[in-house]
Amino acid sequence: MRAEMDLVARQEAFSLRCRASYGPGVHLVSGAIGGGKTTMALAMAGLLPFDGDMRFEGLASKAMSLQFPEYHVTAASVDDEVRSWGLDPGEVLPRAGLSGRGAVDPFKLSRGQLKRLNLACVFALDPDLLILDEPFSSLDCRAKAKVCKAIASREGKITMLFSHERASLPRVSTLSQISEARLECLGAVPDAIPRWAGAPPYLRRALELGAEPRNITMDDVEEALCATRG
Amino acid sequence: MRDPRLRIFSTILLSAGAFISPAGAVAALLWWLLFTPRLKAVPHPRMLSGVVLMITATAIVSELTGGLGLLYLLRMVPILLIAAWAFSDRQESELLDVSVWMMGKRIGFDIGLMAEMGLQGLRLINQDIVQVRQAMEIKGMRPSVRNLVPMAANIVINQLRRTEETAKLLTVRGYSSGGEIEPHFVTERRDIMLASLALAVPLLSFFAIW
Repeated sequence: MRAEMDLVARQEAFSLRCRASYGPGVHLVSGAIGGGKTTMALAMAGLLPFDGDMRFEGLASKAMSLQFPEYHVTAASVDDEVRSWGLDPGEVLPRAGLSGRGAVDPFKLSRGQLKRLNLACVFALDPDLLILDEPFSSLDCRAKAKVCKAIASREGKITMLFSHERASLPRVSTLSQISEARLECLGAVPDAIPRWAGAPPYLRRALELGAEPRNITMDDVEEALCATRG
Repeated sequence: MRDPRLRIFSTILLSAGAFISPAGAVAALLWWLLFTPRLKAVPHPRMLSGVVLMITATAIVSELTGGLGLLYLLRMVPILLIAAWAFSDRQESELLDVSVWMMGKRIGFDIGLMAEMGLQGLRLINQDIVQVRQAMEIKGMRPSVRNLVPMAANIVINQLRRTEETAKLLTVRGYSSGGEIEPHFVTERRDIMLASLALAVPLLSFFAIW
């Protein structure tokens, strides 16, 4: 299973150069707000025109969660919204923490609730390629932790995580960053960590202290710091 | 045209001229052909072609049922093209500037602010349409008449929410009526020349029907 690309994605006047190859695992693409993460995510989902090549090997399904969950809404009730994804509300709503809210108008939900609903739907689809554009936005710490857990549970599949999140991150397989309209693949974790310019402050501090975290989560950093200090 | 006052003035004159008589419509079309970047000045060619198509259909139906459909078409096409040019040439906040210049800092400011918010809304609706279409494609839904209702509902609700947020924001910032703004305009010689020629269009149109 692999997603390969060598392309220039365009969105209005902006164009982004991407050259990458992603296999099964979690791949974090970071970058500044407005840097081009959404452009790359949309191009990977086949929702934006691009010049160049994009190849998917061994992929039977793909899904994407947009940054703003309200755009996904196409039904008048939460139950119907889940059904519009071809899913069973009885299974999805408890995962979204929305049990008993099936009859509610999705637009009556808060953005955080709507985000949880949307993420629960795309995780329930369990596609071979899951593209998550800013999945942590509008979520509280507990919901973010749940999303990290859901990402980690996708074994053997490709999860593309486009985010500028600085605190709640899942363990990842590779790191990439977008700067100056270009995607830079930093490689596999942990070797890529010191090269990550967009590393969150806790990770940066740990590196300054000489720690060598195995991955990018706070748990990994704590463990590395403990090992460094003996 | 850099001076928004002269651009709006020209747009009104050309539109009036085009509507008064077929001769005025031809003159307005000629003005558009000679003095604008023509189709490059059309902000959304697909949207404009959709509107032209609707007007053409109306004109054909009118012509077939004994009305003056073709003359209606002849008048509406330059009006639309001129409007598209005026829209594409506009700069941020210039309607507010013109409105304050014309009607002062109280009523002028309120009307200008409303106009600016309306135009901003149009731009955001356009972005919403793109995003909703992408979201529907993710679900495997194709744009169709059946899917038009959820799509439109999504766009309308998002726009209403945004309007409510803007209203709250204005209230929090102490807005009740009027505001302080010092409009500044740059007038080039070409602007004056084009506006003068635009003035000739309704005059020609008026004399043509006499």
